[in-house]
Amino acid sequence: MRAFFKRFAGKIADRYRKMSIQMVISLSFTTVAVVGMVFMGLSLYLRFSTTAENLVEDSSQRVLAQVNLNLDSYLRRMMRISDTMYYRVIKNVDLAEDSLIDGMNLLYEENRDSLVSIAVFDGLGKLVSAVPLSNLKESALPQESGWFQAAVSRMENLHFSTPHVQHLFDDPDYRYRWVVSLSRHVQLTRSGATERGVLLVDMSFSGIEQVCRNAELSNGGYVYLIDGSGELIYHPRQQLIYAGLLEENNQRAASYRDGTYREDFQGQSRQITVKTVGYTGWKLVGVVPGESLAANTQQMFLFGTSLLLFSVFLMAFLNFRISAHISDPIRRLEQSIKELEAGQEDVEIEEGGCYEVQRLGHSIRSMVSTMRHLMDDIIQQEGQKRRSELEVLQSQINPHFLYNTLDSVIWMTEAGRYEEAIQMVTSLARLFRISLSRGKSVIALTDELEHARHYMTIQEIRYKNKFETKISAQPGTEGLYTLKLIVQPILENAIYHGMASAEDDGLISVTARREGMDLVIEVTDNGMGMRPEVAASLLDENRPDVRTTGSGIGVRNVHRRIQLTFGPRYGLTICSEPDEGTTVQIRVPALDETGAAPYQREDGP
Amino acid sequence: MKKKRNAVIQLGILGFLGTAVILTMVLPQMADGRKTAVPMELSVVIRESDSGLWSNTRLGMEQAAGELGAELRFLTLSAPDDREEQAELLAREVSGGAHALVVVPADPDWLGSRLKDLAGQCPVVAMESMLEEAALTVAPDNEALGRELALAALQDWSGGAVLLLDTGENSAGVNARLEAARRTLEEEGVQTERRVAQTAALAGVLEGLVEETGAVQVMAFEPAATQRAAEAKENCGLPQPLYGVGVTAAVAAGLERGTVSAVAAWSDYAAGYLAVQGAVRAVRGQAVQAEALPFFLVRGEDIYDSDMQKLLFPVTS
Repeated sequence: MRAFFKRFAGKIADRYRKMSIQMVISLSFTTVAVVGMVFMGLSLYLRFSTTAENLVEDSSQRVLAQVNLNLDSYLRRMMRISDTMYYRVIKNVDLAEDSLIDGMNLLYEENRDSLVSIAVFDGLGKLVSAVPLSNLKESALPQESGWFQAAVSRMENLHFSTPHVQHLFDDPDYRYRWVVSLSRHVQLTRSGATERGVLLVDMSFSGIEQVCRNAELSNGGYVYLIDGSGELIYHPRQQLIYAGLLEENNQRAASYRDGTYREDFQGQSRQITVKTVGYTGWKLVGVVPGESLAANTQQMFLFGTSLLLFSVFLMAFLNFRISAHISDPIRRLEQSIKELEAGQEDVEIEEGGCYEVQRLGHSIRSMVSTMRHLMDDIIQQEGQKRRSELEVLQSQINPHFLYNTLDSVIWMTEAGRYEEAIQMVTSLARLFRISLSRGKSVIALTDELEHARHYMTIQEIRYKNKFETKISAQPGTEGLYTLKLIVQPILENAIYHGMASAEDDGLISVTARREGMDLVIEVTDNGMGMRPEVAASLLDENRPDVRTTGSGIGVRNVHRRIQLTFGPRYGLTICSEPDEGTTVQIRVPALDETGAAPYQREDGP
Repeated sequence: MKKKRNAVIQLGILGFLGTAVILTMVLPQMADGRKTAVPMELSVVIRESDSGLWSNTRLGMEQAAGELGAELRFLTLSAPDDREEQAELLAREVSGGAHALVVVPADPDWLGSRLKDLAGQCPVVAMESMLEEAALTVAPDNEALGRELALAALQDWSGGAVLLLDTGENSAGVNARLEAARRTLEEEGVQTERRVAQTAALAGVLEGLVEETGAVQVMAFEPAATQRAAEAKENCGLPQPLYGVGVTAAVAAGLERGTVSAVAAWSDYAAGYLAVQGAVRAVRGQAVQAEALPFFLVRGEDIYDSDMQKLLFPVTS
């Protein structure tokens, strides 16, 4: 179990980390709101259910109290009739001299709406007097009736029977009426002597029925009346129960004391309220079917569920919108930062949303601005650094070359080789003019080749024509520009390493050609060459600098300059074989005047 | 575009749930309104002209109608067992908008053929006799009832013929009782004399029939005939024990006085209640299950027995 919760918490944490801030806000708000609503809803539902049950209980008790009052009043009226009959009629009549009939008739007529008959029997069950019918049936045995025996056995009390069909008297209309008998022991006076007798007042069942019939309880509930032993006296569906079509839990109800109970009867839950009717021991029982209570509660539950679902969805919907409103500025900020990370330059940092997000946006904006300035500074510094480096590299022209050349001029002048001296000085002047190029770093290919040509003129004179030089540019290279002073160092290398030990058959050729978008200048010599691994190591940045007797600008410097200017795709490639010669390929972008302009600006003074 | 579509879907769900909330508030009230708005109309057509004999049945019917929200129209014939009139009455009630018919058929076979069309329009519940077209028949097991009554007569029989009053004309239920009683008696070696008689004329003909057949016992097989026979017996002072079917007030008095020796009876109240309950259920399309009504044999000394009086005399004011 613990492991399960741990795993569950882990999953939630994983999810949380992957969720957007909008989703987190939305889900959190909705969850909290739903939990609150469910809690409140359940509390209200339980409160409502309890209150509804209490209301029903109160209502049942009130109705039962009212019915009890009415019934009590009715029964007291019957008892008053019985008392009147006994104390005003029977007690005042000597049966030997007078009859009870007048008094009985009067009493009956006054109360005929609720009476079926009044009869007086002697102690043996023989009819003394009766109204309105006075002929006892031949088959009638009053002394065997329950009401008679109750009156005789418990003389001090009045006795109410359960409902039964009155069948004592001959009725020419064959009416079989349901009555409740009120019987009591009386003392009859005959010839001055008292004797035992029984007074019977048959109440019409309709009286009790009327008292109970209109009592309606909540939710289709009803009221019924039983005697102390559970025998039904009144039930709204009494005849159905008598006919066996319906059952009532009356026997069990007889065992209840006054109060409200819950019972299950025939698979149905019911709320039972019991109230004892004074004097008789009868019990009024109120029944409220549980299912009608439940039906109301179910309706409430259905309504509550729908409302809850609606509220939850509305809450989720609104939370989603509100969280979107809150989180959108953050998301846009995040997007801007992503774009910045991707290298996009013109990213606009928004300063929207609430206060904290605005501050965050403002901070990021300031930070980006600072960063841009720093980057610009870095770029500028890098450019300056590069320019300085170039300048340093360019300034690395060995003064030895100048000294040697001038020395050669002096020597030729002294030897009277004026023309050669003039040619050498002229080439030197042209060489320096092109080298300076008014500070430009990118010059026309023709100038670069011209520079190479003058350099080679000087060297050829110095080396007394030990080698021959061929410089050519193929069609398609017209108007192209290149980095300046990139051929001369290669030629210098070719002379000092390739031609130094050559006889008079040395050949150095310089060829410029266009390959697609590139300009390729190949410097080939037929000198002593070198091993391929030695050739490859020439461009190795980690290789220690080896000062030579050349112009001072090494091959590696040229390679580095090209790559610094145009990128790593460009630079030198050296192919060499011992005793075969060496070819150095210079690859730069084929730049026209427009293409060369940015490089001029960048490196311009 | 996707956001807009999601918003529309969300609003749709919101609308749906909102409608559900409103419906849960309104539907129960509408259902209550419907319950009170359309009362179910049931027509009850008996085969007799005197509805007094059916008063207990009617009480049961009214109880069921009250509980189930139906309105009753209780119709009698101008002449007993007039099948033509009964068929006309039923047709008129159906065309008058009755939702269901409860009928005590005068002539079940004949009425069945006439009811074929009507039964398609509204459910029919038969009482007393089986009706082929009826959705439900509420009646005791007539043959068993006839047998029991014959056995009761046999207990008192000490020789001689038994007069069987054939008053049912075409009533299958009544005839089934009579036939079952006849068979039972004859199986026991009792001579039976079956005589056709009009119920209403029994007062005048019973004495003659008894003399003609020399019967020592008389048996009637329907409540009206039992009541008439009891009256005729008292009027003519006939000594022959009378056995009958059904307990009317007069028959109950006859049982008390000994005019009627025994009757086979059932709870008319229950029969009426079950008939109307079945009719309402049939109209509502609910399942109705036919079950024979329980019957019991009553002798004079049992009539005020606590349980018996509850069955015989409906609790009324």
